[in-house]
Amino acid sequence: MRQLMTKWRPYLTVFRLRALQETQYRAAALGGLVTQVFFGLVYIFLYTALYAGSDPQALRDTITYVWIQQMFFRMMFSNDGELTNLIMSGGVAYMLVRPIDQHRFWVCREVGGRLVGAGMRMLPMLLVQLLLPVELRISLPDSPVALLQFVLSVGLGVLCLCELTSIIDAINMKTLDRRGISAILNLTMLTFSGNVIPLTLFPDGLQTLVRYQPFAQALDASIRMYQHAAALPEWALNVGVQIAWILILRAIGRAMWARQLNNMIVQGG
Amino acid sequence: MAFIEAKGLSKVYVRYNAPRTGGISRLWKRERQEIPALTDANFTIDRGELVGLIGPNGAGKSTTVKLLTGILTPTGGTCTVDGRTPWENRREHVRRLGAVFGQRTQLWWDVPIRDSFLLLRDIYGLEEKRWQRRLDGLVDALELEGFLNAPLRQLSLGQRMRAELCGSLLHEPQLLFLDEPTIGLDAVSKLKLRAFLREENERGGTTILLTTHDMEDMLALCSRVMVLGHGRLLYDGALDALLQRYDTVHTLRVTYDGGADVSALTAAAQVTRDGDAFILTYEPATLPTSTLLPMVLYAGRVREMTLKEQNVDELIARMYREMKL
Repeated sequence: MRQLMTKWRPYLTVFRLRALQETQYRAAALGGLVTQVFFGLVYIFLYTALYAGSDPQALRDTITYVWIQQMFFRMMFSNDGELTNLIMSGGVAYMLVRPIDQHRFWVCREVGGRLVGAGMRMLPMLLVQLLLPVELRISLPDSPVALLQFVLSVGLGVLCLCELTSIIDAINMKTLDRRGISAILNLTMLTFSGNVIPLTLFPDGLQTLVRYQPFAQALDASIRMYQHAAALPEWALNVGVQIAWILILRAIGRAMWARQLNNMIVQGG
Repeated sequence: MAFIEAKGLSKVYVRYNAPRTGGISRLWKRERQEIPALTDANFTIDRGELVGLIGPNGAGKSTTVKLLTGILTPTGGTCTVDGRTPWENRREHVRRLGAVFGQRTQLWWDVPIRDSFLLLRDIYGLEEKRWQRRLDGLVDALELEGFLNAPLRQLSLGQRMRAELCGSLLHEPQLLFLDEPTIGLDAVSKLKLRAFLREENERGGTTILLTTHDMEDMLALCSRVMVLGHGRLLYDGALDALLQRYDTVHTLRVTYDGGADVSALTAAAQVTRDGDAFILTYEPATLPTSTLLPMVLYAGRVREMTLKEQNVDELIARMYREMKL
């Protein structure tokens, strides 16, 4: 146990420091808050017009979906400038003089930044809800169990995202330019994570495919639990899919990092 | 067994260039170029030594340091540091060493340097009390007190270098690599840094390998130097002996009251005039200063006299020229 603590201590510390650092960026959080509320309202007005005269419950669900997506926007889309700079400048090679697992170190750092960044935008956005007319507000979770399932699932979602980010970082190490891969990935992410159109609104025939692809594990899976408390077998399946993707992305990410760091070592950064 | 032992250590970089000729074929053609950065280097360094590594730009100094820290894999030869091969057990190896690369940063850019030091404590698994004591000592010696809470990006170059040095010494490494540590520092900071390094070496027993372009660093710190040029180790030995070998010309500037008969001097050395003064250029190897001096005094009533050795930079430049670097 004690050995395990010592082993994990540097990674927990970098998580904590990154989280603390994120709390310093209050102006950015305020800016994010304003943007996300604006986008949330735009989408909601759009869906209100679209659903006019049809199923009111479907509209309520869509509004809730949109709000949760906006609240966690920072968790979904952000990048760690420090690592990008280190990669571009070649400084990342010099990090190798530290006796740490580089991949684990940067993933933990990323988790800290994303969680706190999202939290700093989400909490004020919950307060903003109180200022809105009832029909535009986020709905309460299906049940306390649903809320619990949601929170746990968001935790898995952030891990999934950070493992995905580490893959992008590895590609970045190869190409030394983040722009290309970011452009492709941002569009894919926006679409397949449900940020532009809720994944629940994709055609029925595609639902199975859409639900179990990796981008849906970031947040869509969690929102579904928020809106509909799952019975044990279904819950186990959903969480199982999230964990499976984390493990798959992690294996790919680690292999790519090992290869890139090794190349760096051979080539000399 | 020596602390550091390198045998036939070599490193060849491979670079791909666009071909010099051809138009559209440049799209898919590329030229492979091999750049030997270090060729067949053999040396040993004992525990507690302070060794300087000098050479012109591109001589292979940084490559040598990177090989010894384990962040580069050589293309040939072997090397052990304290019985371990750096690039094979890298994580185990780097746990015991510290490194400062003058133009790179290893602390975290955006967080207060105190937090970086905290993170280093956990990275090296240091015990709280020991870490605190060591940190206090380093903060004191490197005068970091005033800006422990400032993020690295807000520090001046000199402050940053001191912070980096503190970060590389917190875990009391047996071996310290410094790649141009005084680059860009002002005179006062340089003097302080040198005093600190000497102390760390003498009292702490830390083995230090230092690369620099600053000859004053060399004179102040290193008794042993290794000279690299074109990736080859050209000299390895005492700094004094190296200086003596190339320090072949002295100048003596002398001014006389009234007239002076310099005919004897003209016969022995090369004499030029600079206003009132005579400038005598001679080679101490053939004409010892002790032989020349009585002749100078005999020639007239000396008002003033200054003896100048060769400037170290000029001397090294001459050495590089003679070694065809």
